[in-house]
Amino acid sequence: MGSHRLGGATLFALSARQVTKRFPGVLANDRVDFDLLPGEVHTLLGENGAGKSTLASVLCGLYKPDEGAVLRNGTQVRLTSPRHGLQNGIAMVHQHFRLVDRFTIAENVVLGHRNLPFRLRANDLEDQVAQVAERFGLPLDPRVTVGELSAGQRQRVEIVKALYQGAEILLLDEPTALLAPPEVEKLFETVRAMTQAGKSVVFVSHKLGEVVDISDRVTVMRDGRVTGSVARGEADTRKLAELMVGRDIDLSPRRSRVAAQETLLQLDKVGLTKDGIERIANISLSVRAGEIVGIAGVSGNGQRELAEIVAGLQAPTSGEILINGARVNGIGTRKVREAGLAYVPEDRLGTGLAPSLSIVDNLVLTRDRGFLVDRKSALVEAEAFIKQLEIKTPHAHTATRKLSGGNSQKVLLAREIFAAGDNSRVLVVCSPTRGLDVGAVEAVHKLLDEARSSGKAVLLISEDLDEVLTLADKVLVLYRGSVVHEVAGHEVDVEAVGLAMAGLS
Amino acid sequence: MIIGNFRIELEPRLSSPKWLYLAVPAGSLVFAFIVGGIFLALTGHSPIGTYGSLISHGYTSSKGITNTLGLATPLICTGLAAAFAFRMNLFNIGEEGQMYLGMIGSAWAGIALAGHLPHVLAVPTVLIIGAATGAFWVLLPAILRAKLGTSEIVSTLLLNYVALNLVNYFIYGSRGFFRDPTTSFPQGRGVEETARFHSFGTSNTYPTVIIAVLLAVALYWFMKRSNFGYETSVFADSPNTARYAGMNATKLTLSVLLFSGALAGLAGAMYVVGPAGKVDPGLLQIGLGYAGIVVAALARYNFVAVVLTAILFAGLRVGGASLQISSNPVPIAIAVVLQGSVLLFALGGEIFRRNRLRIRRVQQVSVAS
Ligand SMILES: Nc1ncnc2c1ncn2[C@@H]1O[C@H](COP(=O)(O)OP(=O)(O)O)[C@@H](O)[C@H]1O
Ligand SMILES: [Mg+2]
Repeated sequence: MGSHRLGGATLFALSARQVTKRFPGVLANDRVDFDLLPGEVHTLLGENGAGKSTLASVLCGLYKPDEGAVLRNGTQVRLTSPRHGLQNGIAMVHQHFRLVDRFTIAENVVLGHRNLPFRLRANDLEDQVAQVAERFGLPLDPRVTVGELSAGQRQRVEIVKALYQGAEILLLDEPTALLAPPEVEKLFETVRAMTQAGKSVVFVSHKLGEVVDISDRVTVMRDGRVTGSVARGEADTRKLAELMVGRDIDLSPRRSRVAAQETLLQLDKVGLTKDGIERIANISLSVRAGEIVGIAGVSGNGQRELAEIVAGLQAPTSGEILINGARVNGIGTRKVREAGLAYVPEDRLGTGLAPSLSIVDNLVLTRDRGFLVDRKSALVEAEAFIKQLEIKTPHAHTATRKLSGGNSQKVLLAREIFAAGDNSRVLVVCSPTRGLDVGAVEAVHKLLDEARSSGKAVLLISEDLDEVLTLADKVLVLYRGSVVHEVAGHEVDVEAVGLAMAGLS
Repeated sequence: MIIGNFRIELEPRLSSPKWLYLAVPAGSLVFAFIVGGIFLALTGHSPIGTYGSLISHGYTSSKGITNTLGLATPLICTGLAAAFAFRMNLFNIGEEGQMYLGMIGSAWAGIALAGHLPHVLAVPTVLIIGAATGAFWVLLPAILRAKLGTSEIVSTLLLNYVALNLVNYFIYGSRGFFRDPTTSFPQGRGVEETARFHSFGTSNTYPTVIIAVLLAVALYWFMKRSNFGYETSVFADSPNTARYAGMNATKLTLSVLLFSGALAGLAGAMYVVGPAGKVDPGLLQIGLGYAGIVVAALARYNFVAVVLTAILFAGLRVGGASLQISSNPVPIAIAVVLQGSVLLFALGGEIFRRNRLRIRRVQQVSVAS
């Protein structure tokens, strides 16, 4: 760190010195050093569990470090609470928002503010809040109740709140996790406006792709330690990935290497109307053996319904679904499965797997079980998968909820891709890498690629555009329940896809 | 909490070692006895002497242990009934009422059918009909729960009161089928001799105790190995996952609740083929249905542990009751206090199973640079 210290510690707006923080059984932060310059965007990058949120929480006063110190403008501060942090100009926007749904935006923003006049005048407050919002390019109507807002809008409320309370340093914990690409762009504009106003931003992320654009400096953490710190210009994704994971990572596009064959999954003018609202409108698509068809789109545009219709959890209100040429509309999950469908739902631990049951018992889930459950062969199968897919677990009888996200996803994929074997040649996969580490993402992508090569027809529904672009041979964009854009994987124009996702095509 | 230079914290355990599963209940038992001992000392009884006679009357004397096993027999059944349903997050708290109905149903069979049957057929028939009437008593709550999602807690509880009044009506309120016609004293009509087991020797223990224990072991095995047991465990863990795998939630809910009701009904039937031989409202005052829920909870819904816990509880009851007739009579309330404290400490002990007590020296924050 010394080389960046141009003339003394006072230059840094905020620093961590040898910060150590322990949780039961984990060393969440291990002698971490971190420095933030005034007016800088400094990204904290690392996989899940690397210790980023912990460090940010120490910096904002939520956690007290077990060892080490926090320095504000070069002098040590012993922050006792987030409020104390705020008195020092430090605010954090948490991964999980802390807003009151039934209050208006203005009320939420001023909530907890100490220096309010005795008599609150709603109009004044609203004007003040609107002013702050406008100054940083955060369009908000202060009179709207928070319960009605989207995730992106709530985040803006949190940021406005921090700014209103006089934050000079903003810690944003995984701010892009819930945003669509256009919203991410807007957030970046806000961040730039803040740095132009002399404020500094710590931007926490586990997504490689986005950090390069916005950061003046990227500090990478792994297993509670800082593994490197790279200035703007020196940062390339491959190098950052290696710092994050500790080994070389390949996230380059994977495309079908065999010619696609017969059509295995076909949707013909499928529609779903529920409670008078059209959730899925007239979707037709086909997936052939040996190809991956990717469905891109911002979350909430019908992805979930589409997947559930194909999987037999919901019946479409119009149109036909054919698997291997046989009509499967509304015949129920078990029969759809028998017809040849394997399904990896978005909610892996609450739907795809039974979280308290063991790996062995979870492999049994989709088997034909008879009167007594045959766990012997399932155990053999589980142990083979654990070895083959490098699933990190104490043993095959461990509950799946105790596994990391990547490892439980491997269990689910193993069951849906391999355990089902050739009986199910259609694979529907929803957001398979959401919340996973780069290393696990690579492994999951490799598995999906293998499934494709083995002649399965894969329908990949994902909110992660990069993921769709990396894997799909054909890309469809879903917007308000309709397919609004369709393009071959190798001909994708990213900008056109982005616009289609925002409904602007 | 900070005391001087030390910080005392509860720290969650990542995993609980196996021995704690035994140590915590054992520890809670000891603490419960200490609390009961204080209670005894305050009321002018010697704790050691009282406990000595409690243990001898409840467990170690031959009369004590047979009385205890006799009382434990129906308690095992209601405990199994509660454990069976609670495992699937179906909170059947109507064991009490289902047990009464089991008593009514089996008494009917014992009076009306048993006379036409040889002993080897009569007893099973009476037991099965008792179980069936117990299941019948949970049918309505089960359907409401499975089809409409109505809380089974409320509906099964309410039916307990209906069942209680039904029994009272049959014996005290009317001169119907179940009332003994030969005497003006209100009591149940006795079942046929072929419908009754003989007790072991002159004791109060009946062969039903063997049935209850075998049932517990069979259930343990069945729920561990069978597809039905597997599906209920998936359903209990995550209903969405069960739906995803194409399991039939309605069918599972119905069968679990009905089977639970049948087990509770069997408790009532075991009274009829055993000590009571008739519908006996006097037995209802001891609340074996509700006690079954407590037993199941203490046994952490493990069927084999239900047997041991039921015997422990029954012994406290039996031993507690006999203290009343000693030279320095101890109120029956002491047994109730003990039961309550065992439960409280067992639940409180959970904290120590899940967490670890840590005492750390408070550290001074130092600046490294
Ligand atoms: N409040 C907590 N209690 C116990 N363990 C925690 C707590 N917060 C974080 N951890 C653990 O500390 C490690 C670092 O977590 P975190 O800082 O949240 O990582 P990141 O934000 O980089 O994903 C993880 O292993 C996590 O399980
Ligand atoms: Mg985090």
